[in-house]
Amino acid sequence: MLSVLLIVLAASFFTGVLIRTKSIASGRKGPGIFQPLYDVFRLFRKGAVYSQTTSFIFQIAPTIYFTSVVVAMLVVPFGKSAGLISFDGDFIFFAYVLGLGKFFSIIGAMDTGSSFEGMGASREALYSMFAEPAFFILIGSLALLTGHTSFHDIFLSLHLGSSVSYALGALGAFVLLMIAMIENSRMPIDDPKTHLELTMVHEVMILDNSGFDLGLILTAGFLKFAIYGTLIFNLFSGTISYQYAIPLFIAMQLLLAVVAGIVESFMARFRMTHNAQYIVVLSSVSLLVFFATLLISGKFI
Amino acid sequence: MVELIHSSWIIALLGALVIYAVPASQKAYVAIITIMLSALATSWLAVSALTGNAVSFIFWGGELMRDVRVSIDALSAWFILIINFTVITGVIYGSGYLRVYNETSRKLTFHWILFVLFHLSMVWVCMLQNSMAFLIAWELMSLSSMFLVIFDSNNPQTLKAGINYLVQMHISVIFLTIGFIWVYFQTGTFSFDAFTAYFGTHSNFWLFVVFFVGFGLKAGFIPLHSWLPHAHPAAPSHVSGVMSGVIVKLGIYGILRVITYLTTDYILIAEVIITVSVLTGLYGILNAAMHRDFKKMLAYCTIENIGIIGIGMGIGLMGLANKMPLLYYLGFGGALLHVLNHSLFKSLLFFSAGSVYQQTHTRDMEKLGGLLKLMPRTAFTFLIGAVAIGGMPPFNGFISEFLIYNGLMQGIQLDNISQIILFALTFAGLSVIGGLSIITFTKSFGVIFLGSPRQHLHHEVHEVSAWMLVPQYFIIALMMAVAFFPQFFFAVIAKIMVHFSPLNPMPEPLGFLAYSQLLQQISLYSLLIIVLALVVWGLRAWVTRGKMVSIAATWGCGYTAGNAQQQYTGKSFSKSLSKMFNFIVLERKEYKELGAGDIFPTPKRYVSHYHDFFEDILIHKFTNQLLYAVNYFKFIQNGRVQSYVLYGIIFIMAIFLLTIFNVML
Repeated sequence: MLSVLLIVLAASFFTGVLIRTKSIASGRKGPGIFQPLYDVFRLFRKGAVYSQTTSFIFQIAPTIYFTSVVVAMLVVPFGKSAGLISFDGDFIFFAYVLGLGKFFSIIGAMDTGSSFEGMGASREALYSMFAEPAFFILIGSLALLTGHTSFHDIFLSLHLGSSVSYALGALGAFVLLMIAMIENSRMPIDDPKTHLELTMVHEVMILDNSGFDLGLILTAGFLKFAIYGTLIFNLFSGTISYQYAIPLFIAMQLLLAVVAGIVESFMARFRMTHNAQYIVVLSSVSLLVFFATLLISGKFI
Repeated sequence: MVELIHSSWIIALLGALVIYAVPASQKAYVAIITIMLSALATSWLAVSALTGNAVSFIFWGGELMRDVRVSIDALSAWFILIINFTVITGVIYGSGYLRVYNETSRKLTFHWILFVLFHLSMVWVCMLQNSMAFLIAWELMSLSSMFLVIFDSNNPQTLKAGINYLVQMHISVIFLTIGFIWVYFQTGTFSFDAFTAYFGTHSNFWLFVVFFVGFGLKAGFIPLHSWLPHAHPAAPSHVSGVMSGVIVKLGIYGILRVITYLTTDYILIAEVIITVSVLTGLYGILNAAMHRDFKKMLAYCTIENIGIIGIGMGIGLMGLANKMPLLYYLGFGGALLHVLNHSLFKSLLFFSAGSVYQQTHTRDMEKLGGLLKLMPRTAFTFLIGAVAIGGMPPFNGFISEFLIYNGLMQGIQLDNISQIILFALTFAGLSVIGGLSIITFTKSFGVIFLGSPRQHLHHEVHEVSAWMLVPQYFIIALMMAVAFFPQFFFAVIAKIMVHFSPLNPMPEPLGFLAYSQLLQQISLYSLLIIVLALVVWGLRAWVTRGKMVSIAATWGCGYTAGNAQQQYTGKSFSKSLSKMFNFIVLERKEYKELGAGDIFPTPKRYVSHYHDFFEDILIHKFTNQLLYAVNYFKFIQNGRVQSYVLYGIIFIMAIFLLTIFNVML
């Protein structure tokens, strides 16, 4: 329960802080950190324009996408308190529920019959496919290390063994951060600020969405960032008590947002053709975690 | 009980006679009734076998076969139930699908009689426990399905696919025969009990490999899969649905049956199965993502799912090897449940794809588009199948894949380093398979049903008849039952597992009950997804009520003359993927470069096809060499009757002389 509240809280400021960091880095004053939220609320109040090519798929897709992200959010634990949904192997559920949302957002984009949206959909499907093994090997290694298979148990017992696990946590944080970047279509995979449809990934998929639906999609994006941020926090939190954990969590989310903002300010997007290779590299970092785990648990003989 | 077993074939034969007698428009109904009655008899026995009353009797099969044991144990009961359900939905769907052929009475007679025989032979394959009798039923199954595949026999492509299937199935039979004879010479009996004796005293690995090749050809493990992408598109859709849903599963049944008799070499066999299966899964889905023929896409997707089932079997064997009951239960249990799940959603997908083909007369998805508006119900069933086959909650595919994932995670905790690494890589492989199947099915659904029509079709497209839709709804209902009451199916599987390996009885492990509760919990969470989606949908309706909604053209990024031809194609959707894997997914292009002197260009042709890696590298190379060698003997078949008479005389002389020499010796 606590995790849900904190994720919603983090989601409310994460993107705002990220945008603010970017504007400061480029010498502008920039909007307030809650501007993205105001934008979403404004969208919720608006009417909508639908393409005449679309069918009911286009209408239900944002709803299912949003729902899937919310359900995935319920799986994420926070420190000592488990997520609302917590069972052995829940991370598989987490990944597959997000997959359900992705499925619908992709076919929603294809429903418009626009070549640009099809292009974005194809890229999104491809990138998230490549990100999948990195996530699974990472969590699988942590499961091997701790002997548990649910998010909550894995994170709780991650640091009970030795402090070497913090090094693993750092690698894991890198992988998760990059997956968050991919899933949310940010630098260095995708540039949300680009103005050319040909080079967009996520933004181009939602070109035809408007009003309430667009609001749902944006909200889901905010939540996704916070979900991955919380997972990263959990890699380090272990069993610290709430009065330290909560401020630490907020500080860490702010830090992540600032880091992401700085990365976006000073880095150009990768070439589209190199993206896939780059994402495959993530899997090899995960494999590094896996072999380190094997070393730690003494299974290399 | 024994009478019921006999009634299954008596009903089928009687039904075949009646099908022959009645007029063309009635044949399908007779086939439906026959199959239902026959299925009722065997299902009754299967259910009673699952509740603990295994049926078994022996009949005298003549000097050659001797005692033939007919038995329905829990394992065959599971497969028999799956066969019966899929064939019943298939025959009802088929009655609607073939309605347009009502004038061609002879063809229909042949088709429906074979369909009844096909069903009968599949059920009997699961019941016979005597090598010779098993091979006869197996052969009957292959032959009848081959004739079902070539229903459209005027099309040379279809005939070619049928012959390809026939040849490959007989290579499979050769391997099976070698295996059975091998056992026969060591033990002196054709009964399946001989396996126990053989495996108890000999090396298990090589005989298993022989059977794995034989049954794997049926199941479609790489590199033995190459018949699937040809036969499935060629067959009428109700046949491809049943073939893909059930007949390939009988390959799995065979492998499972052999596994129950194994006594040693578990680890080696498990490692081989897992490795082959992961590669099968990846290869199958990768190819499925490429192809534009949507039935070919589904055929490759079947190969992928066989890979997933194989992973489950490998995990189960690892459990046997390491004496870990939980691993054993999760692996084989996941595999068996996935057999059921795949037979459901794959037949659903083939049926809805068949409806599209029946209405549009094309299997090329690049020619379609926007069908959702013309065939909304078919689009709905295809969508359900597409989401379920990707293993996404709240559908049934997730349940079995979840069990297999859990098996892998239990396996990672083993102590052997090579096994851990194998499991971890399989884990990653399975996740990639999941991601790729999202690409495959978003592409197929999006290109076929969404957007606007890419080409003008020569036929007017309508929604298909209730005969074709209702079976699909039944399949969806059963899929939902698996998704929301998994504990029931899990309990059934637990029963199968207890009796599965008589040599190595594995007691129900401690943590097993917890898994049943876990699945129940997951079904609740699946319900939560649906409820939450409805809540959000309600909220959306409530907030947006009375708001202005306008309809406009799709945003063309400033370009206002966009047309349907400019929509994103399926080919471009999977292009970046195919480029990345161009060492496996072979693309052949045929086109002529524009020469330097071509001042006035003429119309150009550009053709690009994806080729099957293994077919090109292994099979075609081999058959080409064979043809090259055989060419030298061409002079024998020279077309002159005189020569042929001479051959006859030489043959008779040879026999005559040899007999004399034999007598003299």
